[in-house]
Amino acid sequence: MKKQLKVEFKNVYKAFEMHAKQKEKLMELFSIERRKQRREFVAVKDVSFKVYEGESVGIIGLNGSGKSTISNMLARVIQPTSGEITINGETSLIAISAGLNNNLTGIENIQLKCMMHGLKDEEIERLTPDIIEFAEIGDYIKQPVKNYSSGMRSRLGFAISVHTDPDVLVIDEALSVGDSTYAQRSLEKMNEFRERGKTIFFISHSAAQVKQFCDTAIWIHYGEMKMMGDSGEVQKEYQKFINWFNKLSTKEKRAYKNKMLASQTSTPDNELVPRKENIKKRNTKNLVTSGVMLSIVAVLGVLLGLGY
Amino acid sequence: MHMFNSVRQVVKEQLDHKDLIFRMASFDIKGMYQLHYLGSLWQVINPAIQVSIYWFVFGLGIRGGEPVQTSTGEIPFFLWMLMGLIPWFFISPSIIQGSNSVYQKVNMVSKMNFPVSLLPTIRIIGNSLQFFILMTLLMIVLFFYGFTLTIYFIQIIYYIISMFAFLFAFALLSSTISTLIRDYQMLLQSMVRMILYLSPILWDPAGGRVPDWMADVLQLNPIYYIIEGFRDSFLGRGWFFEDPLYLIYFWTLTLTILVIGSSVHLKFRKNFVDYL
Repeated sequence: MKKQLKVEFKNVYKAFEMHAKQKEKLMELFSIERRKQRREFVAVKDVSFKVYEGESVGIIGLNGSGKSTISNMLARVIQPTSGEITINGETSLIAISAGLNNNLTGIENIQLKCMMHGLKDEEIERLTPDIIEFAEIGDYIKQPVKNYSSGMRSRLGFAISVHTDPDVLVIDEALSVGDSTYAQRSLEKMNEFRERGKTIFFISHSAAQVKQFCDTAIWIHYGEMKMMGDSGEVQKEYQKFINWFNKLSTKEKRAYKNKMLASQTSTPDNELVPRKENIKKRNTKNLVTSGVMLSIVAVLGVLLGLGY
Repeated sequence: MHMFNSVRQVVKEQLDHKDLIFRMASFDIKGMYQLHYLGSLWQVINPAIQVSIYWFVFGLGIRGGEPVQTSTGEIPFFLWMLMGLIPWFFISPSIIQGSNSVYQKVNMVSKMNFPVSLLPTIRIIGNSLQFFILMTLLMIVLFFYGFTLTIYFIQIIYYIISMFAFLFAFALLSSTISTLIRDYQMLLQSMVRMILYLSPILWDPAGGRVPDWMADVLQLNPIYYIIEGFRDSFLGRGWFFEDPLYLIYFWTLTLTILVIGSSVHLKFRKNFVDYL
């Protein structure tokens, strides 16, 4: 049986404006000043991969290497600057900041979030006991979330996201707050997920955790995909790099980091992101419609203002 | 008609998710008052305090307790003011919170498959509970004053619909602008405070104290139309179709805001998070 393609990244780039003043942002919005002296930070550079159903993929890398940018793109929170992302199915992102309403109780938050995920009332009723049990919150579930400890909050967030049954689950460092017993149970839940043909992305800077949870791993290094393959192999190479890096002197370390960061800076003379020119199609139809309607309003307004 | 496609899409999103809108609005209300000892009683206490101060300053202080002259007779200023102030207590927070709603919540919502266009609507619906409670209280007050309603009162349905349509269109456009340009929200807050005094809420611009042309210009404010409509319904001053020019003006303005609002919203909504 051929496995179904779940997620595909095709030459994906994500660039963020550097030192963007609020005014420059506005100019760009109305495309007054088109990319003249822009400096951009390319957080993700030409990343391509394919992931099929039932796979669990770990994404490892140093702090600031672009892992979270990738996870946000997987969850469709942000759009790539260039390239294509295809995702077949619903994604659910689990991050430490779970987005719960602090004034509502645990139960109410469960109902609210499930509702926002588009679940029906019967489904929510059926799932609620499971979620409460999995989150291990006990009687606190009837308390407002603002009284929760940070561990409880993220456990509740994780429990809700897992139970809303997404096709693609993106876990961004969320397990690092739980203790090891909780991590163990999360691992079981993730395995259950994979057996049902779901896809998991596991984002972590701990290579050991990635090796434990995932078959495949992607190593992101300063925005670029350095390696993709069996998680054991990737972990070995990554560890090799870490060991090499740790042996460097403080000065060499800083020089290396600066060099890598410089390679991520895109300037107009040295454009790192391929952009299709003239992709801006102005929707003139809307502009004309709005203009015509505005002038009708203006005429009526003048008549009214003159006291007809 | 392809030119209204974006309007259709946005309106369809609201209709498809109407249950969700109502339930999220009720959660919003719950969350807002859960930490207060008096709970949702504040929905009434807050406006009551404001009503008494406006009545004291404008009714007693400035008018000296004099009743308002309308085309259908005299009416105590207190009642006249309530007929304008109660819709205003709904319009003003709906405009401000509705405009801020996307900026406030987009981070949480963008992680799920949830149309952002619902956010302003949820705020408007959440505020409307208070509006309907206050309207009921107003009816009770009118009853105790021995005020009789006429057949004209049924057109209040039309004016409530007009008010919701305008608020929806305005909040949709405004919430997009406010997310992209934060200064706009500040400006809006001052403008709303100003509109309170430029609308026929606490004083009657058509009452002969300002030149006629000024009263005519003030009419261009669509909130003027809504507030006067509420009074027409209560006081039986006339039907909504008796001033067709004003009617057409209000609805073309609302529709224009809606067309611009929905196309701008759809154009930028994918990138909202980038502008935070």
